[in-house]
Amino acid sequence: MTVIHQPETAEANVETMDWMAAQIKMPYTLTPGQATGIFLAELAGRRLIGSRHGDELIVPAQDFSGTTGEPATGFVEVAPVGTVQAFTTGATGTIGIILIDGSTVPFVHQLLGVEPEMLELGARVEAVWADEPTGGMLDLAGFAPLGSAATFEPKDDPADLAAAFEKVDYTMTLDYRHAYGPYYGTLFDGVKDGRRIRGVKCSACRRTLLPPRALCDICLAPTAEWVDVEAVGTVQASSVVHIEFIGQRLTPPYVYAEIVLDGTSTRLIHMVGDVDPDVAQTAAAPGARVRAVWSDRHTGSLADIDHFELLPGDET
Amino acid sequence: MSGRSKSIAIVGTGQTVHARRRTDVSQAGLAREAVVEALDDAGLTMDDIDSVIVASGPAMFGAVNQPEKWLVDALGARYKPVVRVTSGGGTGLAGALAGMNQIKGGSAKRVLVVAYDKLSEGQLQASISTLYDPFWGREFAVGIMGFSAAYWHARIKRLGHTEEAAAMVGVKNRKHALANPKAHVKKEITVEDVMASRPLCWPIKVLDVPPISDGACAVILAADEDALSITESPAWIHGMAYYCEADNAADRQMIQSEPLQIAAAKVYQDAGITNPFRQFDVAELQEPYTCFELSYYEGLGLCPEGGAAELVASGETAMGGSLPVNPSGGCMGANPIGATALIRLAEAAMQVTGKAGGHQVPGASRALVQAGGGWANLRGVAVVGSEKR
Ligand SMILES: [Zn+2]
Repeated sequence: MTVIHQPETAEANVETMDWMAAQIKMPYTLTPGQATGIFLAELAGRRLIGSRHGDELIVPAQDFSGTTGEPATGFVEVAPVGTVQAFTTGATGTIGIILIDGSTVPFVHQLLGVEPEMLELGARVEAVWADEPTGGMLDLAGFAPLGSAATFEPKDDPADLAAAFEKVDYTMTLDYRHAYGPYYGTLFDGVKDGRRIRGVKCSACRRTLLPPRALCDICLAPTAEWVDVEAVGTVQASSVVHIEFIGQRLTPPYVYAEIVLDGTSTRLIHMVGDVDPDVAQTAAAPGARVRAVWSDRHTGSLADIDHFELLPGDET
Repeated sequence: MSGRSKSIAIVGTGQTVHARRRTDVSQAGLAREAVVEALDDAGLTMDDIDSVIVASGPAMFGAVNQPEKWLVDALGARYKPVVRVTSGGGTGLAGALAGMNQIKGGSAKRVLVVAYDKLSEGQLQASISTLYDPFWGREFAVGIMGFSAAYWHARIKRLGHTEEAAAMVGVKNRKHALANPKAHVKKEITVEDVMASRPLCWPIKVLDVPPISDGACAVILAADEDALSITESPAWIHGMAYYCEADNAADRQMIQSEPLQIAAAKVYQDAGITNPFRQFDVAELQEPYTCFELSYYEGLGLCPEGGAAELVASGETAMGGSLPVNPSGGCMGANPIGATALIRLAEAAMQVTGKAGGHQVPGASRALVQAGGGWANLRGVAVVGSEKR
């Protein structure tokens, strides 16, 4: 049994339990596959394409039937007309689950020009096309109440099918608020306001742990006291970063370093700065002595340390 | 628990043709391709499968959460138990272990494990960088490359894992990949080429790094007489284990991977291995960078600590040597991360059943598999053989 124990000083800092904002934003190029790729490409020409899987017809066209797992055996141009099976209205409008005539599988899209309080399940709707196609699902702008029902017979193997889209651009933007909790809270309050780095000492083996935590990983004893750690240490491992990639926080070249601060038993991840990348291969090698250089920032994060600088002379 | 434990075997394997980007299939279609091949190999259909394990890397790779629900359609797996397992580069092996345990526990007779990643769709290094604690080092992360290079640097100094020795791994594995029809990087290189290639995170250089790949692998598991009813030549799993290490534990040196050593000790005991270098005929080791293969030689006990550079230089781990490592080309031939570990297991199964074609190690009957995820936090080992054990 382990008992979670918090040092008294951590409890005294409960009001500092705050959050750190973080954003992850990344572009993607998604592959729709053949059938959905054709469906999407055909929207610009204002045609709705389904896929045949034996007796089954699926609109939008799919590579595989969820009923049988079987691949599509052909494509069908269908009437852009269907029935509302379900709907919901929110701040951005009304979203419906729509079953295209002849299809066995419904799909989700916007309902346009509808009065939600007047809308009924089973309502008949027709496609609304975007004025200017942009090459995506919204080339089919949505569905609106059916006007004059033109008759349209589904056509198997429609002529001149557009080439399938090979990719769909997509950007995912995710905002987070990470709670500091009592340990990171106390550490980064000290970093932000007093330029203090504080670890916790294990009550049994007396190791100093950074980042601070409730329990020692080696003996599972509770950590008992906060201790100040000098911002000087030894490089345990280092590499010289040249690669550039989307989403990178720093501009290369820089030296990635895992540093053990004097008196601690854990690693702090940061960078060694003010050193030529070629020189860094030996000068900032494992064993090099380094010291934190504080930045002008007071953010309450490791970024308050601008970088670590090499101390002259005592590479081990 | 009563009676003897079940012996689990691999009775079918399948892989996609891996590529830098598969424009012709969606993520689900990619996974299906491997499954169709594995079912064909086993002579089974989805009706014969009791349970499906989907193994794939971080959802951030492909921007689809719970991709297993998306795969159900493409696999024809509706109304079956389907769960997803994810564990970085070790995902495929962790998935196979989950499948084995379902059979051992009696909840399934035949389990399909399908592992995939379609890495062309997202931002690899940025996605992997989110493995870091947002408070502790994430802004400095370069996927796992910065970390991996840093500890290789430490091993260069401590264990003599030189840049030249790692280059030999890259040369060897790329040469092996020439004979593997599923690999997509097929270019012979020299040690000089590797040494002269552009540094990405020095000491890691461009040619120390595997490709970024789209690919999938599938494996079908069954036990005892049932396995023998499916195929005359199952690849019997003699042992499999997957262990972890705490991320910020005190005194963590990472010169050797402790979870790898623990997993190897456990699996070697289960498989009756006392002299791994002599007892294995072939090994498939997941080497996300060339330097890792050197480290694994030592962690798996194929040579003493500090002996890896000498071992690769001896040529004994190349085709024709006494213990060929990565006859498939390993990650250097293709590296769809979520599938990579299962590819290692499938390749080992192919070797001990004589199905490895142009990259077959003649007469191989016992194979070693290693794969892991995170930055040395998660490490798995497996042994497969032609003999039931
Ligand atoms: Zn302790």
